[in-house]
Amino acid sequence: MEQKVEISLKIDGKEVKVPDGTSILDAARQNGVHIPTLCHQPDLTPYGGCRLCVVEVDGGPKLAASCVTPVRNGMEVVTNSARILEARRTVLEFLFAERNHYCMFCAQSGDCELQNLAYEFQMDHLTVPGLGQEFPVDTSHEDIVIDHNRCVLCGRCVRACRELAGNAVLDFHNRGGRTMIGVDLSQNLGQSSCVSCGLCMQVCPTGAIFNRHRTHYAVKGKVKDWQMVESFCPECGLLCPSIYYVKANNLIKIDGRLPSDMPDRGQLCSRGRFGPMKISRPRLTAPLGRDGDGNWRELTWEEVFKVVIKGLAGIRDASGGQSLMGLISSACSNEELGAFRYLMVKGWQAGYLDTLDGGHFRTLLSAAEGAGSNLKEVPWGAITEADLILQIGADPSKSHPIINALIRRAILEKKAKVAVIGSENTLGEWASEFLAVDQEELPSLLQALLLETSRRAKGKASKDFYPRWASKAFTGLVSRFNEAANPIIIVGQDLTGPPDPAGLKLVFDLADLKGRLPGDAWRLIILKPAGNSAGAWNLGLAARQGLNGHKPVKGGLLCLAGENDLEPGLKERLSGLEFLAVLTPYFTDDLTAAKVLIPKPTWLETGGTYALADGSGSRFVDRILEPPKGIRPVEQILAAIGQRD
Amino acid sequence: MGKPKVATVWLEGCSGCHMSFLDLDENLLGILEAVELTVTPVTDFKDYDFPELDLGIVEGAVANEEQVEIIHKLREKSKFLMAWGDCAVFGGINMLRNPFQLEFLLRRGYVETESVVGGVIPAHEDLPPLLPKVLPVNEVVTVDIYVPGCPPSPDSIAYALKEVVAGRVPKLPAGMLHFD
Repeated sequence: MEQKVEISLKIDGKEVKVPDGTSILDAARQNGVHIPTLCHQPDLTPYGGCRLCVVEVDGGPKLAASCVTPVRNGMEVVTNSARILEARRTVLEFLFAERNHYCMFCAQSGDCELQNLAYEFQMDHLTVPGLGQEFPVDTSHEDIVIDHNRCVLCGRCVRACRELAGNAVLDFHNRGGRTMIGVDLSQNLGQSSCVSCGLCMQVCPTGAIFNRHRTHYAVKGKVKDWQMVESFCPECGLLCPSIYYVKANNLIKIDGRLPSDMPDRGQLCSRGRFGPMKISRPRLTAPLGRDGDGNWRELTWEEVFKVVIKGLAGIRDASGGQSLMGLISSACSNEELGAFRYLMVKGWQAGYLDTLDGGHFRTLLSAAEGAGSNLKEVPWGAITEADLILQIGADPSKSHPIINALIRRAILEKKAKVAVIGSENTLGEWASEFLAVDQEELPSLLQALLLETSRRAKGKASKDFYPRWASKAFTGLVSRFNEAANPIIIVGQDLTGPPDPAGLKLVFDLADLKGRLPGDAWRLIILKPAGNSAGAWNLGLAARQGLNGHKPVKGGLLCLAGENDLEPGLKERLSGLEFLAVLTPYFTDDLTAAKVLIPKPTWLETGGTYALADGSGSRFVDRILEPPKGIRPVEQILAAIGQRD
Repeated sequence: MGKPKVATVWLEGCSGCHMSFLDLDENLLGILEAVELTVTPVTDFKDYDFPELDLGIVEGAVANEEQVEIIHKLREKSKFLMAWGDCAVFGGINMLRNPFQLEFLLRRGYVETESVVGGVIPAHEDLPPLLPKVLPVNEVVTVDIYVPGCPPSPDSIAYALKEVVAGRVPKLPAGMLHFD
């Protein structure tokens, strides 16, 4: 990289050297000089809106906003003269006077940048009368409230929504004193194209955009009593860096880690930010067993271990280890998966071990074996570099929302085109092409797409060989794909779900038409169904054959991470078992064959290692909360089940 | 010089600031020795005939005509005027009514309330008429010392009073300033 020219300037009389292009604000901060800011956020484009960062430059008559003024050789900057302090204080007073900034009935009080600035400036009263204008309060959204009366129009939310989330839902509406943050074309947030990622709320310096969950001071208490845990969110396998705020073993809020140099740029999705705040399912806090009438009754831990050991040993002694199975959710951590495998394979010599998403693994495996090459996915950060993105049989807006954000950013920043192939256009107007096709017919369409693309790549004229799929979007996509310099294909559950790997094989061939990326990576991102699918599959927990094809199994152990409904085929097979013990954080009455329910901590209460979905490594997820009283760690439970008397 | 004479009044507020003052506990004894407390709601003094004062203290915003009169009287008699709490300093929670017309508010509060049948808007010559907008004290008379907070902490009240007794006009330091 070429070295930037060094600029030397004086800040408050002190000689400093910074690279050319640095703003006065950054130059000052790098050299330990404090300049207050409000609209500035290091991850967003400098805006120069609030004027709190004003400084004197070369004794000039006009004060300059330091966040947007670049340094110049020989510049002399003063950051704290009486004139500057007066200007800043006046700006601050105007901000307070303009709208409803009465802290005593604001949810954000104590955690507010505007309030902190007032304290810093010792602003103990206003010298200008309040304007008393009224603005709407938007409570239409499930998780986020916008109170425009508390807005200072710093525009952080507007910039974050566009630059980080790539969604551009928010912008300024109206003019002058009536300016306010508008959602789409003056929609309510709840009915808008907002993806509920909550980033606007995280960057909002005041209480204008706030969380609906746990904001009352009686719940959240004083900020100084909060503990902060830096961790990663294991919900989908992207493992976004997150910060968890906890008070007295209660989750108060979850933020993304800003600033971030990760491709996610410090975002979180709605699931990561709000999911753990909204869990309302009844927790299982004591072991349960079925009595004679099939009703649940509480057991002691010793009793439940006895029942499980007796149940498993009974089947093994009668029919051998071949008849025992272990089935575990891929949302479990590597540690839980490892301990589970050890218990079932070494401890009980179980003949069958699988994950709940094993079907996806098997389809992927047979498709990859057909492709005859080592399948290496491209890291998902590559999406923002692509000029064409093919989203096939996937819905990242639901399964991996941050992938969706990267797709939108590729469109906004790189003018990338995105074609959606699947049953639903999950990108709406963002998609350049949408080929509507049911899951069953995906292979047929992909076949047509592959053949037509290869034909056209060889310079053959277009002919209507595939009347079933002939459409403007189809031919448009074929030429787009041929012309694309750096296409990426994202596939999801509609292709990995069916047992037949035909569709997936065709996608591999399609990806291979465009060659590999550096490091021999395929132009391919495979969205996996559970938070730690990559980890579970790497550890070899997924079976080569489905449970339905494995006849001898008569009983075993099922370990859930919070799943509510299993797929009907599996549920039916499980209900035919002689004995089934279920480890689960939540009460479930869904499995008729379950003889005992054993409580287990959630991921928030255990932590552990989780593999990144693209196979590029793993992250350690910290323990955030203490489990409810009486719940034992998973390793302890598994160790107890492994011991025979 | 004798002990500084002090009066406190309670205008449009919840009395929380006075509660916070009483919350000084045993420190109150020292303060009562250092100043002479004259008119104050703490002693249930309902007569607003203030003597010549060194310090007038006001809790609450100005929301009706009686309060305008009281605050003018207090200002006239006080060498220094201290505003206690967010209502006196900024208008506080009372400002919630400012975006609305008075007539609408009274109807909504006394007539259209869901639990009320045949309600009437109270009107009597003894009832002071409301001002169209609630005002912080410094929009009616000059204020010299500000102690914001809802309520101000006993510490900040004690700090301000001790500074006055020592002959200085206090300004709360950043660490003591709070609005909630």
